[in-house]
Amino acid sequence: MAEAPKPSSSVKLVLLGEAAVGKSSLVLRFVNNDFQENKEPTIGAAFLTQKCNLPTRTIKFEIWDTAGQERFASLAPMYYRNAQAALVVYDITKPTSLVKARHWVAELQRQASPGIVIALVGNKLDLAGESQGASEEAEGEDGGDARKVSTEEAQSYAEEESLLFFETSAKTGHNVTEVFTAIANAIPETSLKSARGPGAAGNANRAGDEQRVNLSGPRDAGAKDGCAC
Amino acid sequence: MESLSDTKWDVVISGTGLQQSLLALALSRSGKNILHVDPNEYYGEAEAVLSLQEVDEWAARRQSGDGDGVFASAKVTRSDDAESLSPRGYSLALAPQLIHTRSELLSKLVSSKAFRQLEFLAVGSFYIFQPSSTASSSSSSSSTTTTPSLSRIPSTREDVFANTTISVKAKRGLMKFLKFVLDYTSEPQTDVWKPHAGDSLASFLAAEFKLDADLQAYIITLTLSLDGNISTEAGLAAIHRHISSMGVFGPGFAAVYPKWGGLSEIAQVGCRAGAVGGAVYMLGVGIKDVQKASSTAEMPEALDIVLSNDMPIKSKTLVKGLGKPPRESRRLSRLTAIVNSDLPSLFEAVSEGPTPAVAVVAVPAGTRLGDDGSSTEYPIYAMAHSSDTGECPRGQCILYLSTIASPDAPALLEKALSSLLASLAVEGQESPKSLYKVYYEQTGFDTPSVDVDGQSAVFSLLPLDLAFNDAVLDPVRKAWDLVMPNVTDEEAAEYLVFTDREGADAEDELDN
Repeated sequence: MAEAPKPSSSVKLVLLGEAAVGKSSLVLRFVNNDFQENKEPTIGAAFLTQKCNLPTRTIKFEIWDTAGQERFASLAPMYYRNAQAALVVYDITKPTSLVKARHWVAELQRQASPGIVIALVGNKLDLAGESQGASEEAEGEDGGDARKVSTEEAQSYAEEESLLFFETSAKTGHNVTEVFTAIANAIPETSLKSARGPGAAGNANRAGDEQRVNLSGPRDAGAKDGCAC
Repeated sequence: MESLSDTKWDVVISGTGLQQSLLALALSRSGKNILHVDPNEYYGEAEAVLSLQEVDEWAARRQSGDGDGVFASAKVTRSDDAESLSPRGYSLALAPQLIHTRSELLSKLVSSKAFRQLEFLAVGSFYIFQPSSTASSSSSSSSTTTTPSLSRIPSTREDVFANTTISVKAKRGLMKFLKFVLDYTSEPQTDVWKPHAGDSLASFLAAEFKLDADLQAYIITLTLSLDGNISTEAGLAAIHRHISSMGVFGPGFAAVYPKWGGLSEIAQVGCRAGAVGGAVYMLGVGIKDVQKASSTAEMPEALDIVLSNDMPIKSKTLVKGLGKPPRESRRLSRLTAIVNSDLPSLFEAVSEGPTPAVAVVAVPAGTRLGDDGSSTEYPIYAMAHSSDTGECPRGQCILYLSTIASPDAPALLEKALSSLLASLAVEGQESPKSLYKVYYEQTGFDTPSVDVDGQSAVFSLLPLDLAFNDAVLDPVRKAWDLVMPNVTDEEAAEYLVFTDREGADAEDELDN
């Protein structure tokens, strides 16, 4: 492609939510466009990256999946420190998971960086009887409506707390990309300081774009050329 | 899920300081059962970064002269404007260190792929503080008082050439020295310095290279010697490290600083890698008691450990940090200040290099500070961190001052801070000022070590150096050897050498 590369920035995103609401599945759908039925619980934690192309810039998500360790709540502070975005996930068939999600939102508002973009996501929409629009057929065997959390309840809570809000299905892929695109769009330009990659050069005069030191380059060759004396 | 007490742990790691966290990283692909705990509610121990709110709480518990054994005499001072500061907009590092580009730590972060989760910023210029002086002019009887100022230390050959304040003769001596130090471990250079190895570097510079006091101060500053009285042998090693690190990752800088709080960020990345590998993490939990367990067929050598929450644990090995250092250990006084200006003149990019986020200002030993004529016994170093480090909002910066602890140290650090801010005032504008200050003393060791006793390993505290000391890495390797007995040579060679985990290497793939 001959087009000038767009500026590119990294955004640290953390996933929070009760066990088994589908956090890892959402990320897997977003990163690999894949879904695994009966996925094993995530051990420890996971780190994944994925790019999101916007018209004017590229956002590279660095995604931290907190996984089963919520039982000690000890990983969370490490994850959400410096995070620019958080995905707080609940299961629309499980009201207690929304309670847990509210807890995470409060925790983020208390502890995370000011200006963090928080998206509240109700997952497992495929289990809701009222399918998600005509284009997607509800699967026959899941026919019944297992929904226990109404869209209105979660939406009004999200509005109160100024959160982005989506209902998704990691299984069908419904709304998954939309969540990440909405987050990417909501990240304020000013907090995107650490542009890297080819796009950074085009913005050389904007403060902060040229500060990252690349350690993966040829260290020894560089040393020979650049050595001071 | 198996309970903690039922699990047969291979290792319990206590503390999330840099060394324990690097160990967690090194063990993250080993398949070992790892329980990693920290009595603090935050990661990083003495290497931690704290928000303002956390600093307030942290300092309140360490006001006494003994403090927690490592940090003591802590005191927070807020200006009238401090109320408007957003506490979470700040990450103050308790013990910031810069990392030379030739450091083995960076090699290990690259080989373990941990570097992908870090962002490194350039450490730019080194400056010397020049106090205000009252000089009487010879042509008239009037005397003029100059304002305090900063002079940038030339540390490359081009820099020295371009410098206009150094005489041609002095330049020659300086060039000769820089050339000498690049290859100082070879003959015939060794013949020149070995006989003076234990003498002070300053006297060696004066005798061998005819460097005057100003140039000696330049060189001593580049060593970051805490007492300013570094020996010729140690000094040459430090200068060699600096000079040979210049330009390794780009022009104009010899060291880097990890964004978001330096070594703390590396510690957190190590812990995350441990978590990804399946280690269990608990904050706010320490170790209460350790006993040798009775031998069982399954675990012939094991330890019975009681966590601070009274939970009993069985583990093959235990690795922890030293809680309280001996009294005679070295002590450093630190004063950290949030400044209401971004002090742009400190962070100008030199040549084609990246915009530096860190600058170093030294107040050499013997500098007269303030009007009462008191002068410094030891050098005072000020590490200036711009908002690019993520440690403060834009339009501000953080100054980390430190000097060897003494009864006068708190006052001297205050004077150094105000003099420094005066020297950075822009004409016609109000002098920059500090909005929030925290003072404390920190104890550390000169040489890091690990004490392996049976199935336990105990790390000493990190040295108080202002630049990362590679000797810190050896104890980590020794602790790894304890946890990983009977490894093959092949496995040992793979220490901290990992491939990217699936999904984490998008950078290279997706860019093409």
